[in-house]
Amino acid sequence: MTVKVEVVEGGVPHSKVMIVGLILTIVCIYLTYLNVLTKTELFSFFGGLAAVAALTWGSSTIKVLCSYGIGTGVPSAGMVSFGSGVIAMLFATKFGILSPIVAVVLAAVIGAILGYVANRVIAMKIPVMVKSLTELAMVGSLTLMGFTALITGSFNFSALIAPNTVLTITSAGLTATTSYLTSYIGGALIATVFLLGAIAVQHPFNACLGPNWTQDRMLMLAVECGFISMIVASLMSMPFVRIDAAIISLIVSIIGWYYTYAKYFELSKRDAAAWLDLSPIPEQEGH
Amino acid sequence: MSAIAGPKSSLSVEYNAVAIIVSLIILVLIIAATFMLGIPMALSALIGIIVGGVLIGFGVHFVPVGGAPAAMGQAPGIATGVAMLAGGAGLAGLFGGAWAASQGLVVATVTGAIGGGLMMAITCFFVNVIYVFGMGVPAASGKVKKDPITGDTQPEFKSQGTEGHGLPFVSFVGGVIGGIFGGGGGTLVYMMLLGLYTATLPKLMGSQSVANSVAILPIAVSLAGVFAIGIFLVNAVLAAYNITGTIEGPHDPKFKRFPRDIIASAVASGLCGFVAILIATSIGM
Repeated sequence: MTVKVEVVEGGVPHSKVMIVGLILTIVCIYLTYLNVLTKTELFSFFGGLAAVAALTWGSSTIKVLCSYGIGTGVPSAGMVSFGSGVIAMLFATKFGILSPIVAVVLAAVIGAILGYVANRVIAMKIPVMVKSLTELAMVGSLTLMGFTALITGSFNFSALIAPNTVLTITSAGLTATTSYLTSYIGGALIATVFLLGAIAVQHPFNACLGPNWTQDRMLMLAVECGFISMIVASLMSMPFVRIDAAIISLIVSIIGWYYTYAKYFELSKRDAAAWLDLSPIPEQEGH
Repeated sequence: MSAIAGPKSSLSVEYNAVAIIVSLIILVLIIAATFMLGIPMALSALIGIIVGGVLIGFGVHFVPVGGAPAAMGQAPGIATGVAMLAGGAGLAGLFGGAWAASQGLVVATVTGAIGGGLMMAITCFFVNVIYVFGMGVPAASGKVKKDPITGDTQPEFKSQGTEGHGLPFVSFVGGVIGGIFGGGGGTLVYMMLLGLYTATLPKLMGSQSVANSVAILPIAVSLAGVFAIGIFLVNAVLAAYNITGTIEGPHDPKFKRFPRDIIASAVASGLCGFVAILIATSIGM
């Protein structure tokens, strides 16, 4: 199955997308550390931007990998990306300030071994397999870390499991208890973030593949998918960070989503063979 | 991506001896490293995770995955990819098993297996209902002349230009067996991690006053669940690569490739399980 069915033509080379994506992601994740330095939570939204950058890079990687007939469909690449990424990311959060670096290195090791096994033991014989699975694992872990930083305001394991206060009304009045059930991990929000990212990373290429694939349109869709996931993540961040920080994240994500959606619409019109503005099918009488 | 078919894969299974030896060395190194961690439960947990991962990978080979051609009635199987199908069966099994987690390892694993098998049985049944009554195609295999279980002949029901369509009885049975293996394997991974985390996390978080094994349970459950899903998806996708996307069931010649996947699954789940076990150590905190 080593037939390459599509040729990369024009556009930015993938290596450039990868380097820019990696640097942007790491820088944005580290910018959320300003939360700790300035003792606020206002910089959480940089985590979402990191996730958007990582997802854009990931969709480009999926394009490179899935251009070879792997036969399993594009969604499987998103699933393996986050399946290996979540394991690397959660362990890496234990390293404090070094977490993003550890996540990148650990995900690269996991991805490389998975790629080796898939390419040699399972005999896929796809030239870019090891490199792509390495990149995808890094994308998965960094996206999860970005959204985690957006939601909890931090990428430390202790913040991920920090219990929240729950107010319950009982016969004795209003009582406040702390429970791990309301933490980021204890409440299994990470499972939601897992799928938000896994679907956002595979959708752009799955939607744009075909003979009239263009790189700028696919990457624009990837950014749009990133922002739409960020909207959901911003809503999920409301119980965890101060409300003003959550609203800043929400506004940034909505503006980003609207802009990229309009752009993507324009690019789709540009690439379409013909465009007809058609209203919904009118209800015809007498049939 | 399956619109343009690749070259016909040969029926003989290709083994790369060097790669298999390298993989087994990696596996032994991972097991040795887990042993060196010195946590009493770590080694048994890792073995359980590896067994669970291998069961998941092996189970995927039974599931009749049709992909896009099946959606058009041009190939037998369920009309979706491995990631979705195995994810569905595995998560159904995992939820079933997690409900029974308090009843012990054996009951939980069996419950998970039944959950996965039930999910696949329901899926296969309604897939066939839609094929037969919705699309109007009979169930016919393209890979065998006779159904290995019922002995029904197949070629006369197969439309010309297709590889078969619908779900023949053997594919249905294969789907249920695959669901049982997948659900059981996923639950085994979950139970191993849950046992490890409930034992080690309270000690790890000891500085915090509310940290005791009951209060910590949501963290342990969620961590174990997320890791089980991650390990499940990695194994399912590796198995999908092994069958190059589609398979009819246990009677398909591609089924003979499963030994390759068992080695790959063992290494992959060992690696992921090792990192998941490292969470329970004091490394990094």
